[in-house]
This record gives sequence, structure tokens and C-alpha cells, in this order.
Amino acid sequence: MKRGGAILLAGLALSAAAFCGVYYRGLAPMRALMSRPQPELAWLRQEFNLGDAEFARITELHQAYLPQCRQRCGLVEQQNERLGQLLAHADTVTPEIRDLLAERARIRAECEAEMLKHFLAVSRTMPAEQGRRYLAWIEQQTFLRPTAMESRHHHQGADAK
Amino acid sequence: MNDRRAENQEPLDALLRQWTVEAGPPPRFQEQVWQGIARAEARRAPGFRAGLLRLVEVVLPRPEVAFGCVAALVVLGIAGGSWAAQIKSNRLQATLGLRYVQSLDPYRAGDSPP
Repeated sequence: MKRGGAILLAGLALSAAAFCGVYYRGLAPMRALMSRPQPELAWLRQEFNLGDAEFARITELHQAYLPQCRQRCGLVEQQNERLGQLLAHADTVTPEIRDLLAERARIRAECEAEMLKHFLAVSRTMPAEQGRRYLAWIEQQTFLRPTAMESRHHHQGADAK
Repeated sequence: MNDRRAENQEPLDALLRQWTVEAGPPPRFQEQVWQGIARAEARRAPGFRAGLLRLVEVVLPRPEVAFGCVAALVVLGIAGGSWAAQIKSNRLQATLGLRYVQSLDPYRAGDSPP
């Protein structure tokens, strides 16, 4: 029993060591990616096989886009707060509320247009095939994808039939 | 011969109709059945354990079996580690993809990673 048990234990220990070693080694590329200053951009580089120059240009575009995006988000936030204040004292949709809703929609539309412009600029920076793949992916991931709003009415229409 | 047979048939039939089986199971029959089952299970358990012991004690120390067993366990460990790393890596990739999208699209800022 002693010898057989020792062999079994040694086998299990080696198996556990092999598991840990392969797991650790298998995650090494991801650890390297996560340790970068902007892992999401490093991921983009890896995912779309970008060269140094392309990556530098995309990083530049990314950094230029973020402050504008932050500014628009700040505006929408202010409008949301103002809307909350108006709604607290209103029991009908006043002209002021209507104007504010329209202005907020305008800022949101501007935000979406700027976002789309950025996505297109990024895709143009990539090699053609990767750029197409990037756009197809981004369409599925961002505001460009179909929302619950349209699908809701689509299903209701189908149900009515 | 047939006449005699017919002659005896009627009382025999009457007698058979009156006959009822009154014998029940022997006393403590149920208890004995359960004891029998318990004994059978008790006999089987050491058999399995003895088989396992024999496997580890006698079969496993044979060099070719020991080598095969250890090699199989190592291969299992490698396959398991590789599979687990792949799953973790896929999850991290998806998380980074989402982080990229969230950094650009405020409508997805609140989404939680997969």
C-alpha cells in the first residue's frame, strides 16, 4: 500500500503542478496586457493586429476624443439635473421642459455623431480588412446596435398579426 | 376408467373450492429480508474496497502501470490547466473589449463585464 499510495500521491502532485504551470503560462500574455497603462487600447492593438504607427495614431485619436466626450456628458448631466428640478414643480409638459428635452436630444445626437466619426476615423487608420472587422464589431457593441425600443415595437407588430 | 374419474371429480372439485391457503409468511419475515439485504451489502463493500486496495497495492507499483498512471495524471493536469487558462483568457479579452467600448460610448458605461 505504501508504495502504491506514494505513486498515486506523486501522480496527483505532478498533475496539480502541471495544471498550475500551464494555467500560469497560459495567462502570461493577458497579464502582460493588463499591466499596460491603457489595457483596453493594448487589447485593441492585439485584437486588430495593429502596427506601431497605426497604434500610435489610434491612441492619439482616442486621447483627443475623450475630453470632448466628457464635455458633452457633463452637459447632458446638467440638463438632467435641470429636468429633475422642472419636473418636481410641474404637472404638465411646459414649453421649458419641451425645450430642455429637445436640447438634450440635440446634445445626445451630437454625441452619437461624434462617436461615429471617431469609430470611422479609427477604422480608416487600420488596415482595410481589420478596419471593416472593427466597424462590424463596434456596430454590435455600441449605440449603433438595435435597441430594445425598436425590437419592442417590432414584436408588438408581429403579435398583432 | 373414465366413469370412475368422472365419479370422483365432483367431490374433488367441492373439496378444492373449500380449500383456502391460510399459511402467512414465517414470523419476523420482513426483518429477516432486511437483514439479508444488509448482509449482502456488507459482503459487497469490502469486496470493492479490497479490489481498490489490491489495485493500489499490487497493480500500481508495477513500473509500466505506475508510469502510465502518473503520465495520465500529468496529461490531465496539463489539459485542465490549458482549458482553465483559455476560459479565463477569453473572459479577460471580453472584459477589455467592453472597457474599450465603455471608454467611448457613454450609453454602455454602466454595463457590467461578462
